[in-house]
Amino acid sequence: MNIRKLAWKNLFRRKSRALFTGLGIFLGIGTFVAISSITMRMEGAVRDKLDKFGANILVTPRTEQLSLGFGDISLGGTQVAHAQLTGTDEKSIRSISLSERLRMVVPYFLTAADASGKNLVWMGIRPKDIAESRPWWKVQGAELSAPGEILLGSEAAVALDKGPGGTVEAGGKTFRVAGVLHPTGEKEDGMIIAGLDDVRSLAGSPDGVTFFEVAALCKDCPVEDIVAEISTKLPGAKVSAIRSVVESRKAAVDQFRRLGLGVSAIVLAIGGLMVFVTIMGNVQERTREIGILRAVGFRRRSIQSLLFWETGWIALAASVSGGVLGSVAAFAGAPLFGAERGRIEVVPILVGTAIGLALGLLGTVPPARRAASLSPIEAIRSL
Amino acid sequence: MSFITLENVSMTYGSNGTRTTALSGVSLSIGEGEYAVITGESGSGKSTLLCLLGGLQLPTEGRLVIAGTDLSTFSADSLAGFRGRTIGFVFQAYHLLPYLTARENVMVPMATDKKSSREKVERADVLLESVGLSGKEERLPSQLSGGECQRVAIARALVHDPPILLADEPTGNLDSATGDQILDLFSELHGAGKTILMVTHNHWNIERGTRSVLLRDGRIAEDNPLRPVHRASRLAVPAQAGA
Ligand SMILES: Nc1ncnc2c1ncn2[C@@H]1O[C@H](COP(=O)(O)OP(=O)(O)OP(=O)(O)O)[C@@H](O)[C@H]1O
Ligand SMILES: [Mg+2]
Repeated sequence: MNIRKLAWKNLFRRKSRALFTGLGIFLGIGTFVAISSITMRMEGAVRDKLDKFGANILVTPRTEQLSLGFGDISLGGTQVAHAQLTGTDEKSIRSISLSERLRMVVPYFLTAADASGKNLVWMGIRPKDIAESRPWWKVQGAELSAPGEILLGSEAAVALDKGPGGTVEAGGKTFRVAGVLHPTGEKEDGMIIAGLDDVRSLAGSPDGVTFFEVAALCKDCPVEDIVAEISTKLPGAKVSAIRSVVESRKAAVDQFRRLGLGVSAIVLAIGGLMVFVTIMGNVQERTREIGILRAVGFRRRSIQSLLFWETGWIALAASVSGGVLGSVAAFAGAPLFGAERGRIEVVPILVGTAIGLALGLLGTVPPARRAASLSPIEAIRSL
Repeated sequence: MSFITLENVSMTYGSNGTRTTALSGVSLSIGEGEYAVITGESGSGKSTLLCLLGGLQLPTEGRLVIAGTDLSTFSADSLAGFRGRTIGFVFQAYHLLPYLTARENVMVPMATDKKSSREKVERADVLLESVGLSGKEERLPSQLSGGECQRVAIARALVHDPPILLADEPTGNLDSATGDQILDLFSELHGAGKTILMVTHNHWNIERGTRSVLLRDGRIAEDNPLRPVHRASRLAVPAQAGA
């Protein structure tokens, strides 16, 4: 028999009270862990996208937009490219001093050309670059693999009324439709995607490049410096850092996290209050027992540690089970929040357990003080 | 040789509005090995006197010396430690913890002791045996008779082998036959050298003591020696290991 065991015995004596005491912490930590795990997954997904997916630097020819109009009446505009980009520019881009930061440099060639009687935009890209630069593409049919094959954007497929296996005539050649892209919501939905060299030869521009997409490995990388370096290497090109959709998504995740942590904080505060109220009531009820303990020689400190052990056990059990439940909820719910796959995050469970324990003990401070100040005689005489 | 000394002790409850003087100017000197039986009408201050002696509270006035220690030098908290070592309490209502077995109840005062749990269990079992409860160590208070509960309470009071036992109407809740058995146990403990102060309502119990103290309205009305105090050998009660 020691204080720890005494506390343990007391818990089992009042099971439903113990459950109720822990309920607030359980829910609070559950919410906290679920939200932190989900935001961690969302942040992870966003970071992955920032790092791996899509470009964050665009290299285009320097153009001047000459607006031909009179007042508000636009008569159309014309773009005058000062210098065309070529395949050799790729080497220049890769030769910057920060080149080890570049994860990919992908040349694109765009041209408008007749395809089986319809004027459509053709996008030329090296098939091997697709996986990295357009990882979100989902292809019905086969991927682009050999010259003479094309992919159709979802709208282009409808316009041409073609599917995988069909053929498209262009520039006196026959292209085979390897696959059709699922709608992406981007411009490529209306385009025909073909090998870079196929599109170049359609346009009669053997080494032409319309723009480069450059992706830097960026968690905290100096995009501005990379942009500046590429600009000096390619004086005729316009190099711009693009704020990707991913970045705005990151802001949304931040907001979600703030909201979630706010909610958890409120639930946890209520949890702490529940501990306070139930333990305070508990002390009231146990005046006699506390008096007996004092009478047989328990010091104030021992009475306090008895109560702290009791809530300690409760808070520990409540926060661990809340943490596990929160993780499971996060695991199951992560896909709903745009994280690819749920994963059990250990850190939130550990942090949650620590917070829950601290909160439980904090909520016990006032009742424990009260218990210790109870006069033993009044307690044992109140029969 | 005085073992317990009260010098002009007064105890007042409540604040200005509702003051009750439970004891006023009580002086009493009790020697080691005495068995003092305290009687008096209800409200005469018996329990208050016992609580003061047990260090459960400090007097509003006067000096209280127990076993050479002046209790007024203690804080309320260190009194608890002193109480744990020097004084065993037995109450009319047993005051056992209902969710603990007999053995665990006896072990409660040892909760903060630095002893292995095996030592604690052994000590509890020896004490339960000495009060005639072997075989009932695992029972809850609700599974014991009133007399058995009081025996558990006595065993608990003896855990730290205190020189002084204080009992507030220990037979008050028991029928006379069972009460007699409990009083036999106290006599036995007295024979083993304990100093005993017992509050009782039953005049038949007075003859058990070596001294009779009558309280009236918070003052000592009578104080009579009944028979000489024999300094007994401390054999009947198993001493605490290492004590
Ligand atoms: N905590 C308290 N607050 C106020 N008054 C008290 C308190 N405890 C005792 N008293 C008063 O002090 C007086 C003495 O009480 P005490 O309990 O010592 O009497 P007693 O002799 O033990 O009575 P009984 O035989 O009924 O147990 C009584 O008038 C009682 O009302
Ligand atoms: Mg009384």
